[in-house]
Order: sequence, then structure tokens, then C-alpha cells
Amino acid sequence: MRFWPQVIEFARRDLIAERRAGEVVAIVVPFGAVALMTLPLALGIDSAVISRVGPAMFWVVSLLFAMQIALRHSAADRPEHRAMLSLLGIDPFARLMGRSASSALLIGVFMAAMFPMMILFYSPDLPDGWPAAVVPTVLAAAGLAMVGTLAAEVTAGLRSRTTLAPLIVAPLAIPLLVGGSQALESLGKNGSILPWTLLVTAADLALAVTGALIARPLEEAAR
Amino acid sequence: MTKIRVLLALAAVAMAGGLVVALTAPLDGFQGEFSRIIHIHVPSSWLAFVAFGVTAISSIMWRIRKNSVWDRRASASAEIGVLFTALSLATGSLWGGAVWGTYWDWADPRMATTALMFFVYVGYLALRAASPDAATAAARSSLLGIIAVIQVPLVYFSVNMFRGLHQGQSIRPDGATMPGGMLVAMLVNVAAFTLVYIALLAARTDVKRQEEGARALQPAAGDAVIPPRFDGVPDV
Repeated sequence: MRFWPQVIEFARRDLIAERRAGEVVAIVVPFGAVALMTLPLALGIDSAVISRVGPAMFWVVSLLFAMQIALRHSAADRPEHRAMLSLLGIDPFARLMGRSASSALLIGVFMAAMFPMMILFYSPDLPDGWPAAVVPTVLAAAGLAMVGTLAAEVTAGLRSRTTLAPLIVAPLAIPLLVGGSQALESLGKNGSILPWTLLVTAADLALAVTGALIARPLEEAAR
Repeated sequence: MTKIRVLLALAAVAMAGGLVVALTAPLDGFQGEFSRIIHIHVPSSWLAFVAFGVTAISSIMWRIRKNSVWDRRASASAEIGVLFTALSLATGSLWGGAVWGTYWDWADPRMATTALMFFVYVGYLALRAASPDAATAAARSSLLGIIAVIQVPLVYFSVNMFRGLHQGQSIRPDGATMPGGMLVAMLVNVAAFTLVYIALLAARTDVKRQEEGARALQPAAGDAVIPPRFDGVPDV
């Protein structure tokens, strides 16, 4: 089987597993909504501050919960399964890309669910033309999925992986966080989103190249 | 062991010398006594870069040779690098508080990127600590050790790439931007800190070697269980 059909097959299989398990839709999305609610409750009745921090909170929640999505139980391979895939000659990078693609889609769903909730809870002053910020947001979701998948692979099989992976990922995902959040800020100041979109694209490309370079050693390390 | 003791003794002497030079070095006219922090801040930042560079090179060597010496060296260097980065952040923050009027400024790219680098290497050490055995720790952390070093040039050149509170590079190809006496004192301290790094690296690598040896000698679970003897038991 060639590279791209392998990628599509892995992504499809992961999405079927997610549909059956419902981890993201039934657990992570409600948990994310609760997280979004906590800050206004902690801040108290200060509408101006709540309105100002809304978009930032949306990005923080997206970053942290993207890790939960990338590390979801239904996307974790058992050692026997890994060994079987390896024996079948499956390209490790195709597996990585397939998993990243399914995680990117689920992170996108998560962000799409969080955005209206952020509008509801925080009432932010969104700038005119804010839909243009969807482009860097989608690119950031892809990057978060890639970095999350890489971290999930590095920590595969370790007992503390759900805590350890976000510790490794969060600092590495900062360019995505900065690019995504600043695009909206830039629109608010009548600026261009292009530099921030380019930053997120560059981070995505760097992550994809890193994935291509370390996919095989990662597979060996995870055995 | 004697070599490590000699190195540690030399490092202690060098640090004492560095301290004397730092306390007698000329001061900056504007910053006064606070400018002496440079003799700790710059060497610790520099050694953090060196330590993470050594981690990356040792990780590459482990991937090529699969010799545990390189893994021990990589992890020992990362530990010392994290220590020096913490020292650099702490001294930088104190210096900033005294001179800039703020202990932390998110708009300063050097501060922000150094903090990120610190947490990535804390993650590296956490990954090693979470791994069940030395081979798994080496296989996984070596990849992170190689990837994470990308941050070192980013942190170093961040003062030239972005605007912030930090001054630009003090030592450039076209000369230094600080008085000679101050520069010499700083370089003496860089040399002293480098000796401390070498001594700590040797000591920590040796401790890791001994730890691995001790772990190999520990009895495995079930070693104490003696199988029952069936001599003389009649067949039923």
C-alpha cells in the first residue's frame, strides 16, 4: 500500500474508534466547557476583564485540551498492535500522519464547540472580519495535533503519559498558541493576519519534517 | 574517582578566583553594584547553552553507537543545563527587578524563550524519570534531546531578532561593547563556570554509572522463591 492510502486508512480507523468510544464529544468537550466557565467564576463580576481575556482563554483551553485529544485512550496502540504493523511493513510516518489527521479533525471539532461557548460566557468584542482568523486557527489545530501525536508516541506505554506528554508539548506548542491568538488581536488593531498565519504554517512544517525524521526511531523506541 | 575529586577541587578554586575578580571588577556607571550580577548571569546562561549542546551531541552519539556512556553523559548534561538555566533565570530576574524595575517582562523575547527552554528540558528529565528502564529512557529521551536543542540558537539570537528589554550581544565579531576590565572579569567567570560544568558533568556521569551498576546487582522479584523439592515424594 502506498503512503497516502495508509495515512487515510489510519485516520479513518481512528475516527471509527472515536465514534464508538465517544471520548472527545462526550467527555473532552464538556470538560473543556467547564474549564471555560471556571475563569469568569474565579475572576468575579468584572465584565470588562472577562470580555478582554475571552479569546486568550479560548486558546489556552484549546492548547491544553488538544493534548487530551491527542492522548485519548482510543488512539493508543498496544505493543502487540505496534509489532504487527511493523511486521506488515507499514510506514511509521504514515501512521503518525494518519493519527495526526484524525486528531486535527477532532481538535477542530473541539475548537468549533468551544468558540460559541467562549462568546456566550465572555462576550468578547470580536473585530470586524474575525472569520478570517479561521485560517490560522485551522492551521494551529493541525500543528497541535502533530505535536500532540509526537508527544503521545514519545511517551507511549509509560504510566504517567497523560501528565508527561502535556509537559513536553506545551512549551513546544507556544508558536502555535502565539500565532493563533495574535491573528485575532491583529485583526482588532486593523493589522494583517498574514505574519501570524505564516508563523503557524512554519511551525506546522517544522513539526511535519520532525515527524518524518523521527517516526522510525520513535517506533523502535516504543517497542 | 581521584580525577573527579581533582576536577571538583580545581572548580572550587576557579570559582573562588572568579568571585574575587567579580568583586573587584569595574562597575557600570548607571547600574552600580547591581552590574556585578553579570559575572553570574552571563556564565550561567552560556553554560546552559553548552550543556544542552552536549546533551544533543551525546544523544546523537548514543543513537549511532548505542553505548550507554553517551546516554549517561546526555542526561547528566541536561540536569546541569537545567540547573544553570534556573540560575540564569533567577539572576536575570533579580537584575531586571533592580535595573529595569520589573522582575519579569513577557515582551522580552530572551526571558520568554529562556523560560520555554527551561520547561522543555524539565520535560526531558521527567521523560527519563518516567521511563521504566535505562534502555527505554535512552531511546526516547535521545530523540527529545536532539529536537530540543533547536531552541538554543533561538534563545541566543532572540535579542537580535526581536525588540525587548535585553541589550544586544555584548561580544560581537567587530569587538566588545563593554569596558575591558569588566569584560576580562566576565570571561574569567565564564572560564570558572566552565570548569564547574566539567567537574559536575564528570561527577554526575560517574554517579549514574554507579547507579546503573547497583541496579543491575539488585535481586529480581522471585529470586528468593525456592522451588519445592519432590525428591522422595511417592508417585500417586
